[in-house]
Amino acid sequence: MATTRSITAAGLAAAVTAILAACTPGSDSAGADDTGSAESPDTVSTEVPDEEVTLKLAFVDGPEMVDELIAAFEEEYPQVTIDPQFTEFTDYVASIRLNMTSDTAPDIAQFNVGAMSDLIASGHLLDLDPYSEAYSWPEKFPPVGLEQLTADDSGKVYGTGSLRAVPAGMSLTGVFYNKELAAEAGIEVPPATLDEFEQALETAKEAGQTPISIGALDSGGAHMWAALLNSMMPVDDYRAWVGGEPGGSITGDDALAATEKFTAWAEQGYFNESANGTDQEASTAQFVDGQSVFLMNGNWAAAQVANEMGEDAGFFLLPGLEPDSPAVGSGFSVSYAISAQTEHPEAAAAFLDFLASEQAAEIESQGGFLPPNVDAAPAADGVLGDLNTEFARVVEADGLNVFPDFSAPATYDAMSSGVQELIAGRTEPAAFLEELQGIRDEHHAE
Amino acid sequence: MSALTRQAGETPTPAVGRAQRRAGDSRGGLGRFKGYLWVLPALAFYLAFAVLPAFHTAYLSLFDWDGVTLATFVGLENYSEVFANSRYRNAVGHALLLIAFFSWLPILIGLLMVGLLSRHRRRGMTVYRVLFFLPQIVPLVAVGITWRWMYGDDGVVNQALRAVGLGGVTRAWLGDFDLALPAVGLVGTWAMSGLCMMLFLSGVQKVDTSLYEAVRLDGAGAVREFVTVTLPALRGEIAVAMTVTTVAALASFDIVYVTTGGGPGTQTTVPGLLVYRLAFSEGKVGLASAIAVVLSCLILVIVFMINRLSRTEP
Repeated sequence: MATTRSITAAGLAAAVTAILAACTPGSDSAGADDTGSAESPDTVSTEVPDEEVTLKLAFVDGPEMVDELIAAFEEEYPQVTIDPQFTEFTDYVASIRLNMTSDTAPDIAQFNVGAMSDLIASGHLLDLDPYSEAYSWPEKFPPVGLEQLTADDSGKVYGTGSLRAVPAGMSLTGVFYNKELAAEAGIEVPPATLDEFEQALETAKEAGQTPISIGALDSGGAHMWAALLNSMMPVDDYRAWVGGEPGGSITGDDALAATEKFTAWAEQGYFNESANGTDQEASTAQFVDGQSVFLMNGNWAAAQVANEMGEDAGFFLLPGLEPDSPAVGSGFSVSYAISAQTEHPEAAAAFLDFLASEQAAEIESQGGFLPPNVDAAPAADGVLGDLNTEFARVVEADGLNVFPDFSAPATYDAMSSGVQELIAGRTEPAAFLEELQGIRDEHHAE
Repeated sequence: MSALTRQAGETPTPAVGRAQRRAGDSRGGLGRFKGYLWVLPALAFYLAFAVLPAFHTAYLSLFDWDGVTLATFVGLENYSEVFANSRYRNAVGHALLLIAFFSWLPILIGLLMVGLLSRHRRRGMTVYRVLFFLPQIVPLVAVGITWRWMYGDDGVVNQALRAVGLGGVTRAWLGDFDLALPAVGLVGTWAMSGLCMMLFLSGVQKVDTSLYEAVRLDGAGAVREFVTVTLPALRGEIAVAMTVTTVAALASFDIVYVTTGGGPGTQTTVPGLLVYRLAFSEGKVGLASAIAVVLSCLILVIVFMINRLSRTEP
């Protein structure tokens, strides 16, 4: 028995030593270099070589849209074959870092700030500046679209540095409204200022209706809060905070006032009674069912609203404090980055350039997204038409803000749970903002 | 009485087995290792996919690592954060509370069902068994999605309450700060009860029917019969059920992730959810590993206690 035990012990010890002898985690990943940023050649070609190549494209949003984009692209460049690899969102976020640092990384990958910013620091994403210049992307894409995808070499500060990805379809959050219910309560829509909107909520409440539906079980509550920040906090201040600029802060008076307004609306019963137990899908279902006058949601809900309510529904951006306040909304793009390890950067860049074309814009629009190239958006009426008009206003005003959770990877969960606590009156607005500020500062201090 | 004699007659068998094994040992040499050869394939898999990753997780817990860039060795710093941060301690508290819903309630329900079903052979037993075992074969993610919908504002739960005149207590259950955790726990109860009942039913079948006859002749009723015959016979099955369901409670992830995502606030946050978030969305692989290690140790301790308690004779 003694022998067996000592053999087992020896084996165990050997196994442990073998693991401990393995090098420090992260030191053996392919493609990583210590300098931080992946070097691109200074001059690049917009010519796609004639040889047949196959590109792997890892993505998460809009499988049908991606298939159509690929088909249209392959028609233009018959020598290039794109092999799409679809992954469901949570799995994508969980696996993309391992995927991109492996020896068989996809050539093109849908960009996700939270999951992929580390890949900028580790040098796994291609610096797109040379291609941007060669293809003149700044003229083809709206500035807001590219700004959101520009980051420094640490991958932590956005809005400055080099281009990391290119937008395909944009998103935008705002307020949907039920025309019939609004007329019944005597509400004039769309409101010109935030005060008018608040007045409208009160009127709806007095008329015995549920003023606005939000789905705070998932991220619907955070969208409402972010919209109030957009309306009440100067754009530069917000971007300094969310983009990671030194000194950026969300604990100032404007953000506090916005958060206090959010809490006040919850207290006054302007939100659906069970907001914390309702997800975004359910809140949309309640709205199209005529259970509330307004709905806070994004363009992804527009198709359902249009289908079920037709001409009865409209969409507007949450207005600012003054009638002439700039149009500011929350949104981000489905965007694509190129792996630093790709053997065919020209072909991959050509695909990114194709995303700016009118043909791509039409496909994106059909896929339920807002084409970055607003002039190429196909004409639409009803709620979809409203959405296009409002998005064009935002692009014109350079007013597209990224979502608050882009401030740090840990922000999303703290924000979702914090917003639920605000709705239930279980936390103070100031405490909530301090927590978010702390998470962001910790992220940048690392 | 026949049962008792048979049991007594069986006792020497293990002794014989032990003697044989001892004889095998004494042969020594290659023969002794022959047995290991047979388990080698399974052992290799077990080592490669269970033991090694476990050690690797423990190793990772000593680093500050985002999962991509170079890690820095921090010693036990991650562990001190796990114990110092109330967010993590609360999560463990939630998991412990879930034990009542994932383990105790299902075992009670299982015992009750067995008490009702085991006394006589009834027709349609197979149907009962299939029905009660069904929750066990449905993926927990599907279970979670269904219950999330049922707990909704206009969901089945509220419809049922309204139907019986309890419209006053209806709410969106998963959004209620005080009731979200019990609501999530009851999903676990639903999922685990069938498993417990199946275990107990199969355990009861090995009980000699003459024992029931004997207590009945002594004038015992259904309750007495259950306490004196059924319950002691099920000691082993109860221990197994308690182990399996307690582990399920402490390591719970899928049901919570799908129903509440840890909300409202942090009322239903459990360690499994934190491990997932820290490792995959917050880029704190070391801290996540440390929580996983602490959770594993906690589970081992509790399982060890359950086994010790179930072994002692009444």
